[in-house]
Amino acid sequence: MTDVFAHLNGIIRHFGQVKALDSANLEIHSGEIHGILGENGAGKTTLLNILGGIIHPDAGSLEVGGSQVRLQSARAAWKMGIGLVHQHFTLVPGLSVLENLALGRRHRGHRWRLHLKEIRKEASELSKFTGLTVPFEASIEELGVGDRQRIEILKALLRDPQLLVLDEPTAVLAPAEIDQLFQLLRTLAEEGRAVVLVAHKLDEILSIADRVTVLRRGRTVMTAVGADIDTAILADAMVRSSSSDGDVPTTPDVLSVLGQGSDHSAPNREPGNRSVAELKGVDVYGPQGGLALQDVGLEVMSGEVIGVAGVEGNGQRELALVLSGRQEVASGKLQIPERVGFIPQDRNREGLAADLDLTENVALALHRDPRFRLGPLLRWSLIELHAAEIRSRFKVRSSGGRALARELSGGNQQRLVVGRELSRLPELLIAENPTRGLDFTATAFVRGELKRLAHDTAAGVVLISTDLDEILEVADRVFVILRGKLTPVPSAHDSREAVGAMMLGSRLEVH
Amino acid sequence: MRRFDQLAVAVLALVATGIIAAGSLWLGGYDPLVAGAAMFQGSFGSGTAILSVTMVRAVPLIVTGLAVALAFRAGVWNIGAEGQLYAGAIAAAWVGLSWGNAPGWFLTPASLAAALLAGAAWAAIPAFMKVRLGIGEVIPTILMNFVGIYLAAFVVHGPLQENRGVFPQTDLISDAARLSILVEGTRLHAGFLIALLVGVILWAGLRWTHFGFQARSVGASPDAARVSGRIESKRVLLVVFLSSGAIAGLAGGIEITGVTFALYEGLSPGWGYTAIAVALLAGLHPAWVVFTGLLFGGLEAGAGAMQREAGVPAAWVSAVEALVILFVLAGDQIRRRFSA
Repeated sequence: MTDVFAHLNGIIRHFGQVKALDSANLEIHSGEIHGILGENGAGKTTLLNILGGIIHPDAGSLEVGGSQVRLQSARAAWKMGIGLVHQHFTLVPGLSVLENLALGRRHRGHRWRLHLKEIRKEASELSKFTGLTVPFEASIEELGVGDRQRIEILKALLRDPQLLVLDEPTAVLAPAEIDQLFQLLRTLAEEGRAVVLVAHKLDEILSIADRVTVLRRGRTVMTAVGADIDTAILADAMVRSSSSDGDVPTTPDVLSVLGQGSDHSAPNREPGNRSVAELKGVDVYGPQGGLALQDVGLEVMSGEVIGVAGVEGNGQRELALVLSGRQEVASGKLQIPERVGFIPQDRNREGLAADLDLTENVALALHRDPRFRLGPLLRWSLIELHAAEIRSRFKVRSSGGRALARELSGGNQQRLVVGRELSRLPELLIAENPTRGLDFTATAFVRGELKRLAHDTAAGVVLISTDLDEILEVADRVFVILRGKLTPVPSAHDSREAVGAMMLGSRLEVH
Repeated sequence: MRRFDQLAVAVLALVATGIIAAGSLWLGGYDPLVAGAAMFQGSFGSGTAILSVTMVRAVPLIVTGLAVALAFRAGVWNIGAEGQLYAGAIAAAWVGLSWGNAPGWFLTPASLAAALLAGAAWAAIPAFMKVRLGIGEVIPTILMNFVGIYLAAFVVHGPLQENRGVFPQTDLISDAARLSILVEGTRLHAGFLIALLVGVILWAGLRWTHFGFQARSVGASPDAARVSGRIESKRVLLVVFLSSGAIAGLAGGIEITGVTFALYEGLSPGWGYTAIAVALLAGLHPAWVVFTGLLFGGLEAGAGAMQREAGVPAAWVSAVEALVILFVLAGDQIRRRFSA
């Protein structure tokens, strides 16, 4: 097990302002199953895509089989024997399963002709050997996600990779299918191939992986032999407080903003004890048709910040949309106030219109407000004044109101979104991963504003976040969302370890 | 800064087109200078050329260009201005012929109103497909063009054919139904003023009104518009789509009441398609559409003169117009890449 197949060293990769990978390391041995863990945004998928030749690192080195390589394309990675099974399926919907398996695969000796028969023979042998049964003649769109996953894996195996990389393959599989997949991975490893596997569930990783690497904020924080660790150690490594990394909070800038903000003309609402929003037995369908929220009950009181923690994709999106009045409920009771502020998680696509200027982006949220309207006309001069005030009060650094939203850095974009939503003095504010990808100052600023809104203006705030540190820092009450169900965390148990375990669905006893 | 960038893209696109156009003429054995001089003479070389040819040719280009610019600004890819123009032309001709004895103060506006409605109705089919059924509008609008073109052909061979029954065209509409001439002794008609008026309405509407802002927001970022929770995107798209169709229909109505006074096969040499070049070159800005419309009007006006004087086929101009679209699109991409 000491034969190193691939070695990634000091990998750095930025996406715009965001550092997705910050000198990450990964060593993969032939014949091992290597599990990769990390919170959302820790850089797992980016690292995998670098292995697969799809993303190129800004810095750092990659060695395969002992020699330094540069993977310029997915094709180059394939040639090095690295097969990547994507998290999001890459099958072509109009084609049959067999045709999809034939994609990108050239049969020996036949440069131009497509030899479906040979590929079929090869594929069915492999299918028999691996136990991955798929209907070859079916069209992709007739198949469910489980079948599609199997096809993806079969497609990768057909090219006989020395390293098979799977990005969250178990997310869409049923328990029995997961067992079957794990058996297959074990067989592959015993043949001397390397397997890299990303999964969200800790116990899953521990049950299969020989070694485990944990990423946090783009850095490799731990690599350990699977037998030596348990879920508690992993959970701790994944969500450990950032302050233990040496980022000491020193932000006079933020404090002055908070102080300055208090003279803003907030109506003196009396804090606490008043219900501002309530959900009772709410069911909501997700985009795929299944129930994304199940029997959710939540009462938001004035003056409090409610934190909803959870691993991405457990119904957070739907909860945010329902609470902000942007999605209908399938059944149950929903009661929300008139003025709801909403900070959506994708500020670039949903929070702001990148190609409109800053004033227009402010108008996006308040153009229905009668104060800014005159018959069919918009009172642009008033909106401009208002937008300028938001820019100065929330310290949005820009070249002025005519600057395009896309020209701002991520932190300044978020300041604008937060400023815009807060300036409407909402009775209820929904914030969805509001600090994702922000630097420390901007993060502290946003968190401070959320707290201030709740505590100073007696609004109800719901903070939905995959960042456990954020939840524990900001929230007065904590809930965990898991598979569409919302569970309150008793205040006696809102420790990082307990909530982290609940988030990950581990069966640690909390109550 | 943005305005300047867009202007730079437009100017560079024109320069690049000019170079390629001249090169292609030279390769084809023509003298680019002679051809260019003839083209200029025929389009902007004299008062008559400007007033009677260029500006008259520009009217349908400006109006359909405005229709396209409005739609594109809201993210509605209406490629169907050609069909909508024909629908408007058919309706205007029909009204003009049916109520031939009505007074002018009624008949001309009625013809144009019919053109507006018909254009909107023509756009309504792809619009409902888009908003209700989620079917992309590009292919339906293109297909509706063929339906519109052949419906006009059918109408002038059948129900509305001239009384003598010889030519595939309608009778001439009565004098009362015709738009008045603006400058005595030229062919410049009041349709030009209508085109300017539509341009001003769209410019102010997009810029200053509540609805115009919603339309621009939906076009700039459908997701942000939807998530803002304050814009009913579907309603906005529907209204913009129908308005765009109505304006394109108006172009057909103006052509009937201002220039041809009759409907015939092949009324439009593809204005609804050239409109896309007109709108894109103008950066989808209504005020600039007036200028690019005049420029393309001049190009088409000069094409005839160029064919007479330098022997260059007029069809060459269509190729040049297409080049403009390609260069504007390429320039826009380059600008985005460098400003990102």
